[in-house]
Amino acid sequence: MLIFSVFKTLTDQQVTVELKNDLSITGVLKSVDQFLNIRLDNIKVLDEARHPHMMAVKNCFIRGSVVRYVQLPAEHVDTQLLEDATRREAQNQVKR
Amino acid sequence: MSSGSSLQGYVDRRVLLILQDGRAIVGVMAGYDQKSNVVLSDSKERVYSMEDGVEEIPLGLYLVKGDMIILIGEIDEAIDQSVDLSTIRAEPLPPIRYDAQ
Amino acid sequence: MDPSSSGIQEPFDLIRLSLSERVFVKLRGDREMTGILHAYDGHMNLILSDVEETIMIVDENTAGGQGAVSVAKRKMDMLFVRGDGVILVSPPSRT
Repeated sequence: MLIFSVFKTLTDQQVTVELKNDLSITGVLKSVDQFLNIRLDNIKVLDEARHPHMMAVKNCFIRGSVVRYVQLPAEHVDTQLLEDATRREAQNQVKR
Repeated sequence: MSSGSSLQGYVDRRVLLILQDGRAIVGVMAGYDQKSNVVLSDSKERVYSMEDGVEEIPLGLYLVKGDMIILIGEIDEAIDQSVDLSTIRAEPLPPIRYDAQ
Repeated sequence: MDPSSSGIQEPFDLIRLSLSERVFVKLRGDREMTGILHAYDGHMNLILSDVEETIMIVDENTAGGQGAVSVAKRKMDMLFVRGDGVILVSPPSRT
């Protein structure tokens, strides 16, 4: 839930999603759901010469389970807030 | 790929599906269900290779299981038609590997 | 030693106590990285900053079948790592 919330705060920001097949796609984060499926707008594939498969694709929906990494815009991530929220969530896990 | 509601915007659009095994299939999204199974009409598989241009294999009306789909992309028709597929040389996309990836 | 004195009673406590510290992460696909840990969850999804990733690439096509290993490194400012790729998270070395 925590990570889902973080992604929601990054809506409309530029991110780079790296898939488990080594494809990297940069685009504007349009939406995310509880499975961390991701919708990107205005996409651009890195190394398009090697991966021309998505040349004509303007937006896409990526299955969360095939994501390896997402590079986030550091200036839009409040690390202190993240750490506090993470500690709080860990605390709730224990109480449960 | 649950949360089917986010696929609503793709109905009746020309889309590219990338599958777990690396295959690329284009077609018009005729429909989908809550498990993200997708029905494409007028679909074709695009087979990439380094030796030849892209080969298009007609598949017609095609049902793709939701589990198999890793990416759905909306195709910009103008850009797609401006590309001469016979000039494109590329390796097929690698399959997703959950074991060693 | 009383295990509660260190504040570590279960595995995830070790990760919790590493928040805002540099950690080492081993990943599937012959990858590893270090970065400053800012968030995690029960799936071991992670958010790290100031990341340096190292990828070991084994070239199996070399003669003798021994396989030469090359190493690729790259840096990333802020990174979400999906938990299913994580093999281990290790706290900073206190030296």
